[in-house]
Amino acid sequence: MTEHESTIDLNPAADEIIDDSMAVDDAPAVKRKGRGFASTAESRVSNKYDSYDRMDEDSTVQVSTNAQRSVEGWIVVVTGVHEEADEEAVTEKFAEYGEIKNLHLNLDRRTGYVKGYALIEYETYKEAKTAIDSANNTQFYEQTIHVDFTFVRPPEGSGRQPDRRDSRRRQRSASPGKRW
Amino acid sequence: MGADDEFYVRYYSGHTGRYGHEFLEFEFRGDGMCRYANNSQYRNDSLIRKEMHLSPTMLKELKRIIEDSEIMKEDDNQWPRKNVVGRQELEIRFGNEHISFETAKLQSLGEVQESNDPDGLRAFYYLVQDLKCLIFSLISLHFKIKPI
Repeated sequence: MTEHESTIDLNPAADEIIDDSMAVDDAPAVKRKGRGFASTAESRVSNKYDSYDRMDEDSTVQVSTNAQRSVEGWIVVVTGVHEEADEEAVTEKFAEYGEIKNLHLNLDRRTGYVKGYALIEYETYKEAKTAIDSANNTQFYEQTIHVDFTFVRPPEGSGRQPDRRDSRRRQRSASPGKRW
Repeated sequence: MGADDEFYVRYYSGHTGRYGHEFLEFEFRGDGMCRYANNSQYRNDSLIRKEMHLSPTMLKELKRIIEDSEIMKEDDNQWPRKNVVGRQELEIRFGNEHISFETAKLQSLGEVQESNDPDGLRAFYYLVQDLKCLIFSLISLHFKIKPI
């Protein structure tokens, strides 16, 4: 009995489906490497559960882009942030476009320097959009930074229809060891 | 979309023990979809499942982080095997390369240094931390919850 079988089967129906046509998903040119392919470990996370929490559409805000609002505001991502930039400098630059509600300037776990991206929360769409329009492709610490919304709305066709959405991929998890 | 553009990342860390199957898992897809699931029976008995869609700029940054880690050059054949403490899996499809690495849970950098492949395992160890750091930020900002 494998480790996998001893765990709770989150998707019992899948075991009854045998579909060898799904067995090989990689093109022949794809190079595979790793013990994970031989293991009977669980299938992809998306196969396992029927539904995930996501942000509801906010119909009160009319925006022309496909940006997605977060719970308390709009999250902007800045990439190309110099490794020696600090929170103070990022705050100083981006407070110009609106009040910063939250700033995540994550560090590289190996070096301890800035990883290269910043996530900034503004309360309003207008502030976030101004930051993007004003700071995208500008210089910061002698590097070009890119500024954009972090989250977008789900593409058409990936709405809240867990059964239909998952039915095809669910079949892929049927044959153990042939996860892709 | 050609094979060169294929992109997928999945990380799993978990074990089965006194509190059942406890795990943390997340994935990023090439179309921007990002999913996170965390099941801990201890103190928090509910399964957390979150789904987000990332902009192309955010996705590009994720790809850069993975490329910089050089993880695709590594191989897990010398890494510690999964054990009763649990296992970690990291699956990445990046263009024409597809890795699916499996190893034990690593408690400290010391374990990495003492392994048979410290350089490779270090790349894995730090990439996993950087990915976790990213997804925890994304979830806490988007949903205003503490993911773990």
